Amino acid sequence: MIPDAKGDSPIHRVPPGAKLLALFALSVLLFTLTSPVALSWLSGAIVAATLLCCRAALVQWLKAWPLLLTIAALGIWTVFARGPEAATIVLLRLGSLSLFATVVTVTTSVGQFIDTITRIAHPLERLGIANARDIGLAIGLVIRFVPEIRARYRNVVDAHRARGLKLRPSTIIVPMVISTILCADEIANAIDARNIRGTPSKRN
Amino acid sequence: MSTRSLVLIALFTAIIVVLGLVPPIMVGFFPVPIHAQSLGVLLAGVVLGARGGGLTVLLLWVLVAVGLPVLSGGRGGLAVFLGPTAGYLVGFLPAAVVTGWLSDKAAHRITDRWKLVASFFVAAAAGVVIDHIFGIAWLAFAASLTLAEAVIGNLIFVPGDLIKAAIAAYVGLLLTINFGNRIRIG
Repeated sequence: MIPDAKGDSPIHRVPPGAKLLALFALSVLLFTLTSPVALSWLSGAIVAATLLCCRAALVQWLKAWPLLLTIAALGIWTVFARGPEAATIVLLRLGSLSLFATVVTVTTSVGQFIDTITRIAHPLERLGIANARDIGLAIGLVIRFVPEIRARYRNVVDAHRARGLKLRPSTIIVPMVISTILCADEIANAIDARNIRGTPSKRN
Repeated sequence: MSTRSLVLIALFTAIIVVLGLVPPIMVGFFPVPIHAQSLGVLLAGVVLGARGGGLTVLLLWVLVAVGLPVLSGGRGGLAVFLGPTAGYLVGFLPAAVVTGWLSDKAAHRITDRWKLVASFFVAAAAGVVIDHIFGIAWLAFAASLTLAEAVIGNLIFVPGDLIKAAIAAYVGLLLTINFGNRIRIG
């Protein structure tokens, strides 16, 4: 499930922090522009730059059809409620914004992002709010346990089927959450036993 | 923060991700599909409390931002934070914190089961309302709708979300009976 960020375009070499700032600046710019002509120039420039530097992003953007579907639905609705000009503005804004965001995502590896987030979190660490290294550990834990919890969900569903019970959210979620919480202690002990966090262990 | 709290936060984030992977569950007399992901957020608030719920949503945001397809429908990446429905994702944080804060208060004071489940429901419903306020505000801004139009478009989701609040309250009650307040992260 981890997207691949291999490739060597000029955009790949830009530091992730700069890309995030550019994305933020672009979003402000797109929402302050109100003329369709200026918006279409800007969108055209973004599409052209994507085609030149990073075609993988365009493919990835087209693959994200649930997001495109909501944008399209909004566009169709706006045509009927406000007329074609307003719809063009909405579609250009949201379309080019999501395309540029996809470019940033595709050209930055997960590792780079985590490094950037850890660096941003360092001031928080000095304030004593969070331990920056814990962020990487927490992300690793989630990625590690999604398949496990999914298997647990399947087990509960299978048990329902075997007993001929109706699938109800409450009867599925309760056993799933309880069994997950029960294994939290074990995982925490395993982490402390390996001294992964590098701190003396504290219990609640 | 203890390692156990860190693990609980990560596990709850994983539960939210899994709830986005499973097919929507049909509920009610006239079937309403329940997209379970926001249920997971309410649940994190009810079960882990304000701090734990908030940190769970922050961790989910980090996963979305780095581009992992963790939201329902395999969505992920920075584009989600700028799409028309981004307000709901942003609203997850205040929703989880407020739900958590209210249910923390309830869990420490109330012992009667019926009262406890009712106050968990109120807490989760408050979370739903806050999430919808953020969702509506961003939708109105991003798509230049009037607030009234955005509210009307939003109304279809209200029955389903109230059912989610009820499920979160029920699960929260069972977990409080089983584990007491040990799993609240304070």
